[in-house]
Amino acid sequence: MNEERVRDLERKSRAAFDESVGSMDAATRSRLARARATALGELRGRRRIWHSPWVPAGVAAAAALASALLLVGDDAAWPESRPALTALEDLAIVTGGEDLAMFAEDEEFYAWAAGEIDDGVG
Amino acid sequence: MDRERSLERFLAGIERRALRIAQMLLRDHAEAEDAVQDAMIRLVRSYGGHPEQQWRPLFYRILRNRITDAQRKRRVRSILQAWRNDAAADETAPDPVESAVDPAGTPEQALEGGELLARIEAMLAGLSGRQREAFLLRNFEGLDVAGTAVAMGCSEGSVKTHYHRAVQALQQALGEWNS
Repeated sequence: MNEERVRDLERKSRAAFDESVGSMDAATRSRLARARATALGELRGRRRIWHSPWVPAGVAAAAALASALLLVGDDAAWPESRPALTALEDLAIVTGGEDLAMFAEDEEFYAWAAGEIDDGVG
Repeated sequence: MDRERSLERFLAGIERRALRIAQMLLRDHAEAEDAVQDAMIRLVRSYGGHPEQQWRPLFYRILRNRITDAQRKRRVRSILQAWRNDAAADETAPDPVESAVDPAGTPEQALEGGELLARIEAMLAGLSGRQREAFLLRNFEGLDVAGTAVAMGCSEGSVKTHYHRAVQALQQALGEWNS
């Protein structure tokens, strides 16, 4: 395939896409801003929970200790284990949390589908 | 607080492009907005503490999962609707031609992003799901091969193959632009 033609297709289609993003209407932009605020509220909510008097002191202390150990371990201790840690982190990005979340989503999906089928039968 | 500001800046910078990509994959405005909002929340909740340079591929990985989930639900609803229609002895069944989804979208959708983009969207609808994702993430979102691989949950080699095939198919379909 002609490389120049490929670049041309990429450039033209990207320019059209950018234009459509730039011309997004105000109502949609406003809804996106609200969605963003909701997402960031999640962060604030967690922070509030963390400082809440209802969090038992022992739990907070144990978590603080774990965090400190992780920080120390990451930056200073066991330097020879650093490559292994990095590899583990990389693996976690690709196959970690989100994949576990995907399993949970699968469960959610099947529960949802079962509910839909029950509604249809009932 | 710095982390929160960084996340806000990141989300503000990505949200419009993410929404347009979600719209192209889902072809439903409301579903696309829900998927983007959900992806924002999950990114903040699960990956806000990760290094910033990881956020973009992770965000698109989450968004892709939400879109896949929405598509699966849509398929289940469609099958169930067909069963219900059969059971109701088809008097109230919708006309399959009228209820079919137009691969080119509604006229409003076609005009919204301009004629050129509408044509590209129609052509993208004819690609396989993986090819479509590779093209949108690589070319429209500008993710590199490694980032696209994280977002798509596949190898970098697969990304290159899907992207190459997508470009090839689009170029054939849209050949008149370059002639």
